[in-house]
Amino acid sequence: MFRLNYIVIYLSFIVGMTLLILPLPTWARIYRPDWVALILIYWSMALPKYLGLWSSLIIGLLVDSLIGTLLGQHALALVLINYVNLNFYLRIRVLSWFQQSLYVFVLLLISQLIIFWLDGIMGLAMPIQDVFGSPFVGALMWPFVFFILRDIRRKAILS
Amino acid sequence: MTQLQYQARGTTIQALLLISICIGLMFVDHRYNHLEIVRSKISLVLSPIRYLVSLPALGGNWVSEWFKSHTELLEVNEFLRARGRILNAQLQRMQVLQAENTRLRNLLGSSRKLANDVIVAELLSVDQNPYRQLIEINKGIGDGIEIGQAIIDDFGVMGQVIHTNRFSSTIILISDPDHAIPVQFIRSGVRSIAFGNGNIDYLELRFLPATADIKIGDELVTSGLGGRFPADYPVATVVSISEDLTHGFASVLSVPKARLGSSREVLVIKVGNFEANN
Repeated sequence: MFRLNYIVIYLSFIVGMTLLILPLPTWARIYRPDWVALILIYWSMALPKYLGLWSSLIIGLLVDSLIGTLLGQHALALVLINYVNLNFYLRIRVLSWFQQSLYVFVLLLISQLIIFWLDGIMGLAMPIQDVFGSPFVGALMWPFVFFILRDIRRKAILS
Repeated sequence: MTQLQYQARGTTIQALLLISICIGLMFVDHRYNHLEIVRSKISLVLSPIRYLVSLPALGGNWVSEWFKSHTELLEVNEFLRARGRILNAQLQRMQVLQAENTRLRNLLGSSRKLANDVIVAELLSVDQNPYRQLIEINKGIGDGIEIGQAIIDDFGVMGQVIHTNRFSSTIILISDPDHAIPVQFIRSGVRSIAFGNGNIDYLELRFLPATADIKIGDELVTSGLGGRFPADYPVATVVSISEDLTHGFASVLSVPKARLGSSREVLVIKVGNFEANN
């Protein structure tokens, strides 16, 4: 019973990774929200004991391998936003979904800036205005991610 | 509350540790290729996701082939037969020429073989990092693909293999901002290096002297220097030349021959079958 509930978490990350590499038209790619980060923020907010920093490292390495960034690039970003989240989740849980969206926007922006900055160090120059698109769409998606995953969590009786 | 503070302090140390692990990983991954095996294993675990995502595209192709009308198929068949005959006829002459070429080269004492062995692969329709020009193909180590092999399509050079696992491989296109390919002008024999600049339609030729013998419309082929790409495959056509008089260099833009954005099927050239031209 207990292990079965864990599968829900794994499955949600697999869905997130699928959405991450789903083919989109070229112009839309920079607006693709970081689904894995959104799902990670939800689970680490709802079940901070299960989703520690080590899991965010592993998930980050999976993402890096999946979309061809340097090994450790997304891992670093996810570890950082998970760290911030683990220190703030009690205060964020009680906020309305709109305020939570703002918080998620800031987290996603931090993650995106780190990824851009690391790419910049490697000599890949990228237009800096592109940094805001993906976190913005991600923040818009947050209420959906939140309500869907909360229902799933309640059905799977995880608390 | 004390428990909370304790937890926060614990995570700070852990976070610092993990961040340094990440930085170490990135450094090693950027500078050396020890981590290629790790990446290959992780990538293997993720293969089902890649195939799952590209299933609709593959299935769509299959369905549209299945429902093609009989007459349409006959037409295509007829066309392909005719084309096959023409190509066969050309191949006869080609074989004679190649034999002659080898004989002459032996006489000259220069050893150089052309690559012949290719693997046909299909693109997986998955997206990668939007700021890089990477694509995935459905062949991997199991099919004989190795890192560094060159990829071509029907029209020219597309790129090279950078990561590979058991079932799929990642290709870096020649238009990636991190990629450069040694080229040669067919007409004048001038050698240069074509850099990608992130735009799928253009390659940049840098460090060409302003006095070099270049014209708009010149064809570029791989020069075979560097040993990665076999020589004499078409790469690009020059479309614009602007002279930077202050530095004495010409900045030249060229359009890749290969259909980088639309080719569905690619050929992987097996390395080891050619030696660098000396």
